[in-house]
Amino acid sequence: MSSIYPRRKATNGIMMVLCVVAAAIGLAWLALILGALLYNGVAGLNVAVFTEMTPPPGEAGGLLNAIVGSLVITVIAVIIGTPIGIMAGTYMAEYGRFSKLTTAVRFINDILLSAPSIIVGLFVYELIVRPMGHFSAIAGAFALAVLVIPVVVRTTEDMLNLVPNALREAGTAIGAPRWIVIRSVAYRAALSGIVTGILLAIARISGETAPLLFTALNNQFWSSDLNAPMASLPVTIFQFALSPYEEWQQLAWTGALIITLTVLGLSIFARSLTGRKG
Amino acid sequence: MVSLEKTAPQQANDRAKIEIKNLNFYYGESKALKNISLQLPERSVTAFIGPSGCGKSTLLRVLNRIYELYPKQRAEGEVLVDGQNILDRNQDLNLLRTKVGMVFQKPTPFPMSIYENISFGIKLYENLNKSDMDERVEAALRRAALWNEVKDKLNASGLSLSGGQQQRLCIARTVAVKPEIILLDEPASALDPLSTAKIEELIDELRADYTIVIVTHNMQQAARVSRQTAFMYLGELVEFDETAKIFTSPQEKRTQDYVTGRFG
Repeated sequence: MSSIYPRRKATNGIMMVLCVVAAAIGLAWLALILGALLYNGVAGLNVAVFTEMTPPPGEAGGLLNAIVGSLVITVIAVIIGTPIGIMAGTYMAEYGRFSKLTTAVRFINDILLSAPSIIVGLFVYELIVRPMGHFSAIAGAFALAVLVIPVVVRTTEDMLNLVPNALREAGTAIGAPRWIVIRSVAYRAALSGIVTGILLAIARISGETAPLLFTALNNQFWSSDLNAPMASLPVTIFQFALSPYEEWQQLAWTGALIITLTVLGLSIFARSLTGRKG
Repeated sequence: MVSLEKTAPQQANDRAKIEIKNLNFYYGESKALKNISLQLPERSVTAFIGPSGCGKSTLLRVLNRIYELYPKQRAEGEVLVDGQNILDRNQDLNLLRTKVGMVFQKPTPFPMSIYENISFGIKLYENLNKSDMDERVEAALRRAALWNEVKDKLNASGLSLSGGQQQRLCIARTVAVKPEIILLDEPASALDPLSTAKIEELIDELRADYTIVIVTHNMQQAARVSRQTAFMYLGELVEFDETAKIFTSPQEKRTQDYVTGRFG
């Protein structure tokens, strides 16, 4: 046995310990966040949270308008963003696989993917809020849609690229036109991955605050008017957590817990979709 | 080396189903097929053999123009199917492919049920009611000797079948759209010996009704299933003759070297 072997073995041991420590630190933060949220949030979790409106300072209340507002804005954002994202991803992976446009779109999309959301908020503020003259739920949904698109584009392209070319050739060889091969063969083979992308996009936007501050703003009351400001969980948390009122602070903790559990649930569900072999 | 144009002499009165004339093929700048000319007789099995990269699969992929999926590949020359040049720009590719079916090296069942795998191709061009469709699906599965194994689980995913069964499903799917020509691109190379034997048996049964072209790495397989064999090397057609002649008394030294295992 060579004399450098013991040294290599020692190096290996040290590296492994360092890696385990690094991994543990990463996990510890997550555990601490979850622990703090549970500890502080569960106390305020009761039926009123889901049945009553956000209260004025010093009074008891719930988060109903914020929860529903978040749902409404998210659903509209997904309805706007998903088709655009899927179609762009389809172009990149199917029709334009060899084109320069695809390379350009992929590059820009990657930038958009990591763009600070506050910039997206400002952009939509300039584009929609200022011309309209007031904050509105639809502007908020639009800002979130801008965040949904790059995530869906990316996952759709990646998932379609994972579909073996042999499958496309097989579909083509049987006389199917391209759009049928894409719809009936490629989409079906990539379905769970594409759905996962949409779920991850929802998880990404459900905690976004900055874009909503500039667009949907907030609303102390129940509102289903898309053309008016609408409450949302992240903005409500932002406002309540910074307030001096204890009831508001408690609601902020509870709202944060609700968002976190929702995102966690979505991520686990997305995981289980991709883990399952289609 | 001038490429040779030959038909299988023993069957000289056979009608040529496919006539390839001066075919050149390019992957971008590189030339993969050099001035290929040959005639494939109707309702007969023709094998393309040769070492890796000799162009045999490329030649097969010209016959249904599947290469059109990739922008940098192009063919020059003429390929006449029933006297009609399929390389013509006006040739409808989807219609061509319903006439010239193809089975690939790896089994490629679509991500859907066994039944849908078969009905998929039929539905593209025919509007059948449920019972007619059931009949067509059954006929295709019987033709591919798969019916007895799957008749009780037609709604199961095509991916749940074994490799050999998947490949027969792909053959059934190809037969279902009533092609006249079937291209087989190393259809058994990913399968175990038993499944391979079944596929070969199937080819034997299909040759009465279809013009079959098979690409294979396996010389014994070519000898077993084909009536005529084309030996290709470095993009050229070296020799094309009756299978028995290619394997026992080839005219060309390179053919001799290849079939006796001296290279390749």
